[in-house]
Amino acid sequence: MNTIDPRIHQVLDGELAVDALPAELRDATEAIRAAADLLAAPVPVRSLESRVMAEIHRPAPSLARRVSAWLATPHAITFRVRPVWSLAFAAAAAVLTLFYARDVGPQLGEHEGIAQFVGRFPDARSVHVVGTFNDWRPGTIALQDLDNDGVWTATVVLPAGTYEYMFVVDGERWVPDHLADRLVADDFGRENSVVIVRPVHR
Amino acid sequence: MRLWAVLALLGMPLTAQSVQSRLEGRIPSDALPVVDSLVQVALHEGLPSEPLVQKALEGGAKQVPSPRIVAAVQASLAQLRDAQELLVRAGDQPPIRAGEVTTVAWALRRKVPPSTVEHVVAELPHPPRAAAIHAIADLVAHGFDPDSSAGLIIAAVHDGLQRDRLLDVSTAALHEVQRGRTRDEAIGVVRQQLPNVPGPPKPERGTITRAHRPDTPSPP
Amino acid sequence: MDVIGAPSDAEIVARVLGGDAEAFGFVIRRYEAGLLRFATRMLGSRDAAADAVAEGLVRAYRHLASCREPDRLRTWLYRIVTNRCKSHLARRSVGDVPLDEAPPVADPADGEAELERAEQLALVQRALTGLSPDKREAFVLKHVEGLSYEEMAAITGERIPTLKMRVHRAREALLKVLEDHT
Repeated sequence: MNTIDPRIHQVLDGELAVDALPAELRDATEAIRAAADLLAAPVPVRSLESRVMAEIHRPAPSLARRVSAWLATPHAITFRVRPVWSLAFAAAAAVLTLFYARDVGPQLGEHEGIAQFVGRFPDARSVHVVGTFNDWRPGTIALQDLDNDGVWTATVVLPAGTYEYMFVVDGERWVPDHLADRLVADDFGRENSVVIVRPVHR
Repeated sequence: MRLWAVLALLGMPLTAQSVQSRLEGRIPSDALPVVDSLVQVALHEGLPSEPLVQKALEGGAKQVPSPRIVAAVQASLAQLRDAQELLVRAGDQPPIRAGEVTTVAWALRRKVPPSTVEHVVAELPHPPRAAAIHAIADLVAHGFDPDSSAGLIIAAVHDGLQRDRLLDVSTAALHEVQRGRTRDEAIGVVRQQLPNVPGPPKPERGTITRAHRPDTPSPP
Repeated sequence: MDVIGAPSDAEIVARVLGGDAEAFGFVIRRYEAGLLRFATRMLGSRDAAADAVAEGLVRAYRHLASCREPDRLRTWLYRIVTNRCKSHLARRSVGDVPLDEAPPVADPADGEAELERAEQLALVQRALTGLSPDKREAFVLKHVEGLSYEEMAAITGERIPTLKMRVHRAREALLKVLEDHT
């Protein structure tokens, strides 16, 4: 057993200041800390989210009946299936999802609501909405002006909650939503619009 | 000692993989270490980190220079600290819930006076209080007296209204002003209506059919 | 309803128990990095760690109703994953050291500092793997995950004096291995 000076343990347990250690003991303390720091580095592993969620959604033991019922039920668009064994299910679910989406739209979860974004930009080539609901990534939620009257709209399903956002016109011009009921300073010299999404189901 | 020489080369900052991966490429590289440090400070103090990450992402998306991004994230951290202290002063017991800290920080950003927020927190001891605070902030933003606004919403809670139904209370008061009443009158009218304030219209089938989900944001 | 920031653990638990399975994604994203790091250090293998953490998270989802303190979800998750790691170690035959903890093949374009760091990490990981599971667990929880002895007690069910002893013995054993390699 390689017993070390108990003061080293006291320092590492936060019970004694490192300054109280004689110099010859500080090396050992630092070596332990350095080793711990190395071990505390992030481990580069692919996210487990899709694997865990697939397992959670996996049909229970009576497989045949569960599979046929599952295939016949429309699933939310965000349903993800990753493992190789379930690729067939994924393909079937994707087909059914597209089929059902045309008829009834996305199935809203209990804690989801709808945010409607509307803006008048008569000369715009593109309008996007960017905010805390998409990590401020421009270009991911596009508004549409289907009848070319200069009024751009998007209707988005979001988890219930409060979000800040702005419109981005033609990929470069950041504009607040003047129709929004709520505005808040963005700390960058502008104002963000605020939307509170309420759950549709109560 | 060779061990020492090698260990001394340890220099890479040890930051949470997920925060770094969200910010890398989205904010200027010279801002990344400072923002990450601020996030770690928030985590160490038991404060929510997501508001800081969102503020940094926002600054990056708006192509704001690094110093201003850092300043904005620092300001957000200060707001979260203020919010946490307010909750403790108002009587919430540690550990303070992250959701409550962000809610109170939000109220302070929307210019609800700290004394009003503290009063609401003390009067509504059971979180979540987000809806109540948003409802009060809506009224304050439209020029209603903060204490009267708080009184109306607290009364609504005591009359059994919860969560987003409290937003209907503030909406009702705003509608009364649009009909020509003074703000004080509006509050009086709505108070008489409690708990039967009208709810919001439900979205139509066509609205739901047109709805789509955004791309999933990066995980926290 | 929450504000801009992510929902609290208690709110997520309530949502999942209310039927919103997708909300469990918040739990996974919030905790998987720390749990994977912990399990990797315990098992010495990234693949085994991924298995243990994935199993633990699925188990957590299925038994979420038994989490009596949702505000301490992190502690509860670590307890589950700790047990999964112990199961994996028990199934592993004695002396079976996973191969994927050989020093990672460094890109020649990496600086010399990176190469040395990778080698040193491999050395430390091997030293850690040489500890008994109890000491390894105690060291990792204390020094890698940065938990207090109180939190460790909540996770492992062991008394604090027992945990302190294990951490102390782990430090001594680790230090000896590291010194022997210099």
